[in-house]
Amino acid sequence: MAETIFEVKNLAFTYPKNGVQALKDVSFRVEKGEVFGLLGPSGAGKSTTQKILTRLLKDYGGLVRYRGKNLREYGDGFYEDIGVGFELPVHFSKLTAVENMDFFKRLYQKNIDYSSLMERVGLGEDKNRLVGEFSKGMKVRLNFVRALLNDPEVLFLDEPTNGLDPANARIIKDLVWEFKERGGTVILSTHLMNDVEELCDRVAFITQGVIREISTPRELKIKHGRREVRVEYHENGRTKDKVFPLDGIGDNPEFLEILKDGSVETIHSGETSLDEIFIKVTGEEISHE
Amino acid sequence: MNKFGILMQDEFKRLAKYNIIQVSLGVTVLWLAVLFLIGRNEAGAFIPLFIFMDVSMMTMLLIGAGLFYERQENTLKTLMVTPVSTPAIIASKIVSAVYIALQSTVLIALAGHFLFDASINFFALIPFVILIAVAHAVIGYLVSMHVRDFTSMIAMLMLYMFIFAFPSIFYAIDMIGGVWETLLIVSPSHAAMLMIDFSFGAEGIGTLTIIGVVYLSFLSIVLMRFFVYPKYIETAIKE
Repeated sequence: MAETIFEVKNLAFTYPKNGVQALKDVSFRVEKGEVFGLLGPSGAGKSTTQKILTRLLKDYGGLVRYRGKNLREYGDGFYEDIGVGFELPVHFSKLTAVENMDFFKRLYQKNIDYSSLMERVGLGEDKNRLVGEFSKGMKVRLNFVRALLNDPEVLFLDEPTNGLDPANARIIKDLVWEFKERGGTVILSTHLMNDVEELCDRVAFITQGVIREISTPRELKIKHGRREVRVEYHENGRTKDKVFPLDGIGDNPEFLEILKDGSVETIHSGETSLDEIFIKVTGEEISHE
Repeated sequence: MNKFGILMQDEFKRLAKYNIIQVSLGVTVLWLAVLFLIGRNEAGAFIPLFIFMDVSMMTMLLIGAGLFYERQENTLKTLMVTPVSTPAIIASKIVSAVYIALQSTVLIALAGHFLFDASINFFALIPFVILIAVAHAVIGYLVSMHVRDFTSMIAMLMLYMFIFAFPSIFYAIDMIGGVWETLLIVSPSHAAMLMIDFSFGAEGIGTLTIIGVVYLSFLSIVLMRFFVYPKYIETAIKE
């Protein structure tokens, strides 16, 4: 049985200044070696949850255990274990990429030779340039390198591929996958459902400070999908479509006739997308900003 | 090297990269140039004033500017998720501000001592400058964490100077007196001015200087504990 990295029970948090209750009664577990996705619209409570798990917010209600021990009992040594990749760039703009990495690297007991990682994310040639001259995508990639500087066991990522072109997004996703393969645990906040489908073992949909659903992407698709098959076929010079129930489809004479006829143009199962599930569960459209 | 040492080293590197140390040195050179222009006979009277302006106002401005850059670059938050305590992070910035203030003070004071025959009690001046720089760094921190943009920060610092620093300067050059002497007791700038004057041999202000030392120490501790430290955490998390 996998070790539980985080155990969160009845987590609640109210921002003291505006009195907004950001989290109401949130409970979940994150197992070792798992990529756990926190999904939800803006203001749903994802960032607040991450800030509590990274010990930035401390006045919370409920219980958070990290590796079986109350998170409140950990000191600053906790940060030797985790890497945090923020969504916004977090670097000194008048320092080069290398100077930035050296600045943070020396604060950890354990650290990596980041030059190969810089090469891998395509920043090798720019490592001696000032970060202020970097594009947004380059800063996002440098954020990722920064998060891995201390060779963490748990990685918190907030929109790690936001603002990246598909090729660079692919590299980051491959690196997340490799991190997981080495036994690392990832807690990922994103609204990019493509990332969720590719990376997450389990996802939690959170809205208005409450977790609405936790499951694997596959189970969610099955649960929220329709058990049907839609066939588009050609008949009498026109394209027609028909929906058949998935149950007993092998014995459905009309369906089999269309297949035998050879006039099928497309076949789609009623499997739903995570985008649709997101909207259904959270009741909100996905913001692509 | 321990983590505080690494933080300090990194902070100095950062200040040099952001030209903050160079700007401070440049201002010191300007003060020295002005002293030469004033001439040997009059310069001695201006040295305490220049040290006061450098250690109080420049410290506030430089630490405010440094922190403002950090807020813009979201680097406060990323330091908070490293295995370094928040008090150590804040302390490293304050120590670097004190270093910059001491660097200017020592240059101006040495010039004053050797070139303008100023009588200086260095054993009083150095610890006093450290305390003044700490207090004004804390005030600079507080100001820069309560403003939204750079213009507002400059405006707030100017406001501070008009309310606290300028009356002390006017008092020092006998432009104002009377009721101001009592009112200025609450001004951190005036406490700083008294301490510097004492180091330059001013007479009859021993008691007031002790009150100034106690006041600036108390103010630094209270502001740091109850305002700067919680506001720093709040600002970093909000980034």
